[in-house]
Amino acid sequence: MDVDTRNMTPTNLIDKIVVPGDVVLDLTKMENQTIKLGSGLRQDYDCISVMQAGKLRLSKPNKYWVESSQKRYVPSLEDTVLGIVVEHRSDNFLVDIKAPNLAFLPVLAFEGGTRRNIPKFETGTLIYARVVKANGIMNPELSCTDASGKAAEFGQLKNGYMFETSTGLARMLLSSPTCPVLEALGKKISFETAVGFNGRVWVNASSPDDVILVSNAIMRSEFLSGTQQRIMAEKLLQRLEKV
Amino acid sequence: MEDRTDGRNANQLRPLGCSRTILNRAHGSARWSQGNTIVLAAVYGPKAGTKKGENPEKASFEVIWKPKTGQIGKQEREYEMILKRTLQSICLVNVHPNTTTSVIVQVVGDDGSLLPCAINASCAALVDAGIPMKHLAVSISCGLMEEGSIILDLTKSEEEKLKAFAYLVFPNSPLSVIDKVHSSKEEPIEHGIITSVSYGAMPVSGYFDCLERGRAASAAISEFLRRSLQKQSSEDASRAAQ
Repeated sequence: MDVDTRNMTPTNLIDKIVVPGDVVLDLTKMENQTIKLGSGLRQDYDCISVMQAGKLRLSKPNKYWVESSQKRYVPSLEDTVLGIVVEHRSDNFLVDIKAPNLAFLPVLAFEGGTRRNIPKFETGTLIYARVVKANGIMNPELSCTDASGKAAEFGQLKNGYMFETSTGLARMLLSSPTCPVLEALGKKISFETAVGFNGRVWVNASSPDDVILVSNAIMRSEFLSGTQQRIMAEKLLQRLEKV
Repeated sequence: MEDRTDGRNANQLRPLGCSRTILNRAHGSARWSQGNTIVLAAVYGPKAGTKKGENPEKASFEVIWKPKTGQIGKQEREYEMILKRTLQSICLVNVHPNTTTSVIVQVVGDDGSLLPCAINASCAALVDAGIPMKHLAVSISCGLMEEGSIILDLTKSEEEKLKAFAYLVFPNSPLSVIDKVHSSKEEPIEHGIITSVSYGAMPVSGYFDCLERGRAASAAISEFLRRSLQKQSSEDASRAAQ
């Protein structure tokens, strides 16, 4: 993955690690084209340069972004996140989603929500919600319904155990086909899990042993390849059967 | 030209070391060492809200400098101010308005070139935390000897002996897909300067010599920083498998 010597300009930085300041696209050479920029890139007059360090990715035909894993989250539209209620105002809940600003969850943004049946969420309640408004300037807004207004698993998550991870691990757990570690665990244990793009994971199972085992397996799987994840999950499962 | 006490020649830097993501709770952290000068930087943020007196349309930075021993005094406040202004000029402050990012710098070892080491550590920690930046900053110390020659990366004893020295901060050399040869009308970005702190009296020609040498050496530090950022991701795979 080493870049060429400084004298030769690299023609293509796709799939290479880039640092802030690197110029990845020259717009003067691309006329009459539409390019979509994802996270980590910005337009600097006639070129596209990097804002965050990470791996530069291209999704054909024209979507570029920098893939990086952080402990904090930058809200983006239609992401499903796990938030913790911080305060209850008259017309929305203030929810912490590990973003630079607190998010607002309107009290009516629930299925069949009216002024009469406002849910009573205390400080510290864990909520699974969807981001409906996210620009860099205003507080992000959440909703506990899907696009058609149904509840669809959103709302308060009761029991179980929540832990924090990096955004990179959360994306890996949410990728399709199913992440190898979840698949390997799912063969032997029955558990349910909710993963937020903001780096929070909630696990629930019938016994505390299972919850601990699943949580530890997920936390350890961040940098392992698919086969390594399966081997690691199998080792942990064997230990449980012995006891 | 007399030899330096640790046997280096005039242009030689001390061994550099950089490790990132070393603190569990901080959102970004880095440890930078140049010889025996070691600095640990931690970044928390961006968090909501700005302090009184800061522009709410921009992201603001807060720097806390923790010396190795002793109470916090004027020297620490000066370092905090220089570090804050340097970081403000390399970060994009319009991406997250009305937020505060805190950078905490802890001195672990001080053997000269403390401020450059801290700036390098803070820049690596900001990259680790994913704060949006225009480019990276690399920092170096240059001293002017009596006969007019320049030495780089000063130790504490050299700083005490020399009549004048300067701490310089340059932008890093970026990788670019644009062919630099053809657009040679504008100066390359690494010819700019971000911060310069000078101690003692030196002639103007001496200062410009320092700038030139410092700039040449900053290319080496910039390359080291890039390699350590690239290596980190492959090291994570072997670290987690343990």
